[in-house]
Amino acid sequence: MSFNVLIVDDSISMRAVIKKIVTISGFQMDSCLEAGNGREAMELLATNWVDVIISDINMPEVNGLELLDQLKKNDTLKEIPVIMITTEGSSERMEEAFGRGAKGFIKKPFLPEEIKKVLYQVIGVGENGEYAEDTRNTDELDF
Amino acid sequence: MVNTQKIQEILMNSIFEVFEKMFFVFLEPVDEDVKYDLISTINFMGPINGEVKIFFTMGIAETMVQNMLSLNRKDVTEKIIEDCAKEAVNMISGNFLQKLDSSKVFDLSIPTYAKKAGVFTSQVQNQSGAIWNLSFESEGNLMAVSVSIPAEGQ
Repeated sequence: MSFNVLIVDDSISMRAVIKKIVTISGFQMDSCLEAGNGREAMELLATNWVDVIISDINMPEVNGLELLDQLKKNDTLKEIPVIMITTEGSSERMEEAFGRGAKGFIKKPFLPEEIKKVLYQVIGVGENGEYAEDTRNTDELDF
Repeated sequence: MVNTQKIQEILMNSIFEVFEKMFFVFLEPVDEDVKYDLISTINFMGPINGEVKIFFTMGIAETMVQNMLSLNRKDVTEKIIEDCAKEAVNMISGNFLQKLDSSKVFDLSIPTYAKKAGVFTSQVQNQSGAIWNLSFESEGNLMAVSVSIPAEGQ
């Protein structure tokens, strides 16, 4: 089984790095879409289905938290798991993101293994493609 | 609030972590002026407000981009340098503020970038607030980071 991934970050370099890490992690990726902010992400999602969204928070126009709100309001898109990947790592900000629907949280700067670990947890598959039972990233909740 | 020396230590560790993890650049603190070519800036707002600036020489900016994106020097464009410079200041400020006090929420501005040459000197003092100026060297290339917190009401 392979997955469609959407990476949302206003930094083209960061999108490239995340895409590279996801690719080399062995994650079965069918397609990888990219958006520069939440507005562009919603435009892409109007015509493309994705299985997981990896999104920055601090972005122009529509930020990552606002993107979570827009997804939540949309019956078709609200079940798509979203992983926040951001410099804004305060415990309150993390709680806010989880409260608004995020399923995972990665702080920048990150190690490649951190993205891989959270991605596999959130999507609910093991590294060999088997489905995991607990899809919630709870590691980051221990603050 | 932690003291000035502790803040400098936290800032230094934040800078090292960002440059090592994301750009594979290993910095050494130095005590010298930096003739910079580029500046990226971000503002933070929260329990305290302030500004973080990075002063890059072109050499260190190109090295960062090459390392982060596995590019050859000929493939490094100004657009990608700008993007990486802005992302660097974004990550340093976020990492610094989180290490300073992870229980507090800070809002970060969208980073800005300027191709502007000048000389950074660590001796510059902020007359009406606090400032931390740090210079670094990596493989013969220099850069500097400045964090300033204006006095309340300014």
